[in-house]
Amino acid sequence: MIAPMVILLGIFVMWPLVYSVYLSTYEINFYKGSTFVGAQFYRYVLESSDFWHSIIVGLYYAVLTVPAMIVIALLLATFIKSLGKRAAGWMKTTVYLPTVVSTVVASVLFLLMYQDEGVANWLFNLLSVGPVNWLNDSQLALPAIAVPGIWLGFGITTLILLAALLDIPESYYEQAALDGANYFQRLFRITLPLLKNVLLYLFVTGFTLAIQMIDLALIMTNGGPSEATNTPNLYIFNTFRDVTPYATSYSLTAALLLFVVIGAISAVVFRLVRSEKAIDG
Amino acid sequence: MTLRVFQRSASAVLVVLISASILFPLAWMAIAGFKGRTEVLRSPFQFFPDMWRFDNYVNIARDPEFVRAMGVTFAGALIFTALSLAVNSLAAYAFARLEFRGKRMWWVYCVMPMFIPMMAIMLTSFMVVTKLNMLNTLAVLIIPGVASGAQMFFLRQYYLNFPVAVEEAAMIDGASRWQIFLRLFLPQSAAPFVVVGIASYLAYWNAYVWPILTITDPNLTQIMQFLGNFRSARGNDWGMLMAGSTLASLPTILLLLIFQRFIVNGVRISGMK
Repeated sequence: MIAPMVILLGIFVMWPLVYSVYLSTYEINFYKGSTFVGAQFYRYVLESSDFWHSIIVGLYYAVLTVPAMIVIALLLATFIKSLGKRAAGWMKTTVYLPTVVSTVVASVLFLLMYQDEGVANWLFNLLSVGPVNWLNDSQLALPAIAVPGIWLGFGITTLILLAALLDIPESYYEQAALDGANYFQRLFRITLPLLKNVLLYLFVTGFTLAIQMIDLALIMTNGGPSEATNTPNLYIFNTFRDVTPYATSYSLTAALLLFVVIGAISAVVFRLVRSEKAIDG
Repeated sequence: MTLRVFQRSASAVLVVLISASILFPLAWMAIAGFKGRTEVLRSPFQFFPDMWRFDNYVNIARDPEFVRAMGVTFAGALIFTALSLAVNSLAAYAFARLEFRGKRMWWVYCVMPMFIPMMAIMLTSFMVVTKLNMLNTLAVLIIPGVASGAQMFFLRQYYLNFPVAVEEAAMIDGASRWQIFLRLFLPQSAAPFVVVGIASYLAYWNAYVWPILTITDPNLTQIMQFLGNFRSARGNDWGMLMAGSTLASLPTILLLLIFQRFIVNGVRISGMK
């Protein structure tokens, strides 16, 4: 009964993975055939400033999106929890709605909003700033892309946090209120410690997803201006589509090294947060 | 008493404000669809169109390329969803209930893909499907993504909580494992199937990077591919693009509205892992 799954994963996941490890040690040449070059491509990638630049862009994007998303989600979840049944139901649907919208639709939509005469500049005009050339400014382009990124992702985060909040026994808060704890004391002494595992999970998964972002940057800026939005996956993807020789092995190797970098950083994040005593709800 | 009233109306105001800001981009997209070509980006800025015109919606709904992309993507999404439910639920049942040789090893094998970044396998997957002559077929869009460790994991969690007693009674009556799966497990799987099925549907409907890599045949262009390439193919006709985007988002939004209860519960179930 597991045969279909095992076979499909074998052909489309396991084999490609093994194959790319294999190919990363070869120089592929359509005219002369492939020659074994060992770890040469690994050295090329590790010495390439473009590769490291893209990792930094990916990390910056993660820093821009993940904490903002979790803070927004935490505020919304506590707010939804305080609401009556009908209002809470409405809010849950509203919050989740952007999540089902495709990244492509979000990309073209925000592209329109970021035009010179677009709605973003109109809003900023009201505050008498601007007009700003959002996507053509290398300082602003990535933050501008982070906005639809947050918009698409905060819904599921909110619902997960809400579910976790609802699992905290109400009696804890009642007791705290009797002891005269104020809102912030309750937040920092009860809610956050008890949510620790969920928050850790959200940080790690949010981080790994954010550093792999590709669609938004591909459609909105295609890595520009001056590589400011060239995320790791976009860099690898565009290198792969490039026709120059060695591009194939180079991009495969870069993808594998990105895998290692993601794994290493998640492990570090996990360790850092775990090293303090974990509290189980 | 007055404090209560104040709190309640304050949170009502907040509900409205928050909802409005979350939904604003979507509303903006729909409104832009009603604007004329010169109206979408006009200076001075204008919020609503002078006149609500339906031209963009009508034109895009009559556009053969758009209609074909919607149709092909919809058909593909349905097949994809059905296949992945079948494959993943079978494996989930086996891992939840059966004992077989090397179960632990196969378990690791099936769950591990959850942790492999997409790009590490996508490029060589592309080379594999090229060798299998699958480029520019519906199969290349559907089959590679059918097996999903995450979905299998989710369904297994659900099956683990099924009571064993009924099953044992059926076994005594001589039912085979297949009969138990088909007659006992499947009929009770509606709730998790909705959650997992919607996830599959969304993943297929919203896919962009894999289609632009594997599909060049205009007859098989996927809807997101159509929208993503719209500006390079037809220039900056924002009104039409926004009308198309609105129409292309409607199926997924409708799915959410119809099945919202299941999805919210699904988050609870998956949160318990």
